[in-house]
Amino acid sequence: MLIQILNGLVYGGLLYILSVGLVLIFGLRRVVNFAHGALFMVGAYVGYAANMVLGFWGAVACSILVLSVLGVALDRFVFRPLQKEEPMVTVLVTFGLLLVLEDVVRTIWGRDLLSFPTPAAFSGTIALGDSSFPVYRLLVVAVAVLVAAGLSLWLKTSRAGLYVRASSVDPLTTGMQGVDTERLSALVVAMGSALAGLSGVIAAPLLALSPSMGSSILIESFIVVVTGGLGSFTGAFVAALVIGQLHNLGVVYVPHIASMIPLILMVAVLIWRPNGIVRT
Amino acid sequence: MSETSNLSAALVEAPAARRGLGFPVTLAFVAAAGALVPGHIGSALLLTLLTQATIGAVLATSVGFLIRQNGLVSFGHAAFFGGAAYIVALAAQGGGVSAEVVVIAAVLVPVVVAFAIAFVMLRVSGVAFSMLTLAVAEALHELMMRWRELANGEDGLPVRLPSSLFGLPVSTFQRPETMFVVCWIVLMALIAGLWLLSRSHLGTLTLAIQDNEERARFIGYETLVPRAIVFALSAGIAAMGGVLFALYNGFVTPDVLHWSLSGEALVMAIIGGARTLWGPALGAVVFFFLRDAAGSYTEHWQALIGIVLITVTVALPTGLSGAIGLVANRVRGGRHG
Repeated sequence: MLIQILNGLVYGGLLYILSVGLVLIFGLRRVVNFAHGALFMVGAYVGYAANMVLGFWGAVACSILVLSVLGVALDRFVFRPLQKEEPMVTVLVTFGLLLVLEDVVRTIWGRDLLSFPTPAAFSGTIALGDSSFPVYRLLVVAVAVLVAAGLSLWLKTSRAGLYVRASSVDPLTTGMQGVDTERLSALVVAMGSALAGLSGVIAAPLLALSPSMGSSILIESFIVVVTGGLGSFTGAFVAALVIGQLHNLGVVYVPHIASMIPLILMVAVLIWRPNGIVRT
Repeated sequence: MSETSNLSAALVEAPAARRGLGFPVTLAFVAAAGALVPGHIGSALLLTLLTQATIGAVLATSVGFLIRQNGLVSFGHAAFFGGAAYIVALAAQGGGVSAEVVVIAAVLVPVVVAFAIAFVMLRVSGVAFSMLTLAVAEALHELMMRWRELANGEDGLPVRLPSSLFGLPVSTFQRPETMFVVCWIVLMALIAGLWLLSRSHLGTLTLAIQDNEERARFIGYETLVPRAIVFALSAGIAAMGGVLFALYNGFVTPDVLHWSLSGEALVMAIIGGARTLWGPALGAVVFFFLRDAAGSYTEHWQALIGIVLITVTVALPTGLSGAIGLVANRVRGGRHG
């Protein structure tokens, strides 16, 4: 049972890192990035390539770096020119980007499943009571905790964090107060994108790499973001943990209908509190 | 005012006397011309492609109708299309019920389900609605993949049909030269029905709600039920496409529930332009022919369609049908062209 809860935490942690990137971007730009799952996938593939030359930590650094640059480009060439349009326009354009990115990755790395070796330093298991648990999975949980702690510290104490929180409440007023929302947005989209890359690369040893690997986790992260309330950081955290557990317990105990369980939770939340579980 | 501005783009600028009749007359002409197509096409390959495109057009029409009438973009219409196809296949496995009843139920069940879930899904904003449609559809896809005892997982199910359906020999639905005519008639009847609906009270009311929900509520209208009805009708149209697909194909796999099919339907609707009722159908035909042509000299179909989607969304928001309407006005000498 403890093992199951830990596995749920691993998945919940990955979901959190991915979803909080969506929340960051939504907060500043008021758009939902449908290419976020593709960024997750690109992060995993970039990590796969870098891992062969630079080792695991090099791969993590490379993914974060490449995805940050991609994020800045995404903000500059997609979100900024489209900010006066309906949010749906950006949704459709990022959906088009998803199709293009999957095709690019398929062209470079092929359609076959690739596997990312578990880094040697974390390949062992540790004993927990009478069963054992892979160390690497604990590392994933630790990374998620660090991201959550770092992000909340940054949002609460730094000036940029203050601006981000202000912008996610009301971007227009924040701009009028003299905050350069354009520069802030480039930073925030780069961060959101880098977080997608980070979740991709640390998830890579647990998954098989394929160009379409981003779609199922994107869909679960959509459920997280809607359940948590669009734009709520705390909501995303709580929802990711709960849905991570439900997903995992579902797969173990009721595999036939596992995919329905997060949905049922979401429907319940939408009926009970349409703006998400956490009051913002 | 709102009625005028929302009539199809090609008709808005037409003289008032023609406004009422132009659309049905043109539609009747296109329908008759289409029905004569099989007699004049020798190529079985082309006819097969046209039949697939027409089934795709039914699905694209349902997605476009939801955009036009509710302003909502669905990333999950494969759930209704594939759901209906699975109902046909599963009921045929079980047997005991007449095939006609099964076909009708395959359309009605998605309508009822859509009407019920609309009350939950419509509580969220437009973008969140799109995210939810994707999530709900993908859950159904997973269910059919994992529940092997019910739906045989990835391998799919054959559609077993009796020798006749609605008084027609079942081969009518399986040979492209006759099935094309069946699909074409369904598509034309749907577009005609939607045209009537868009002129009805429900049609104008949902447009008003889309424009400003609060104002519509203030005037005294209930705003959730009309939108739920539109969502349910849209689901029903997608389900009809799914039934046609199951009859024609004779086989269903979880691919008919996959999000990429929902995405394709959306791309068709956007390329064709959802401002008009016929735009998505046109988009579907263009999509299928483009895919067929691209398939022979590039493997990068997916990237190509992504680029087309981005280009059309940014540069031509009213789609092909909008562009055609514009050109038609020019030719007619309209001042606003």
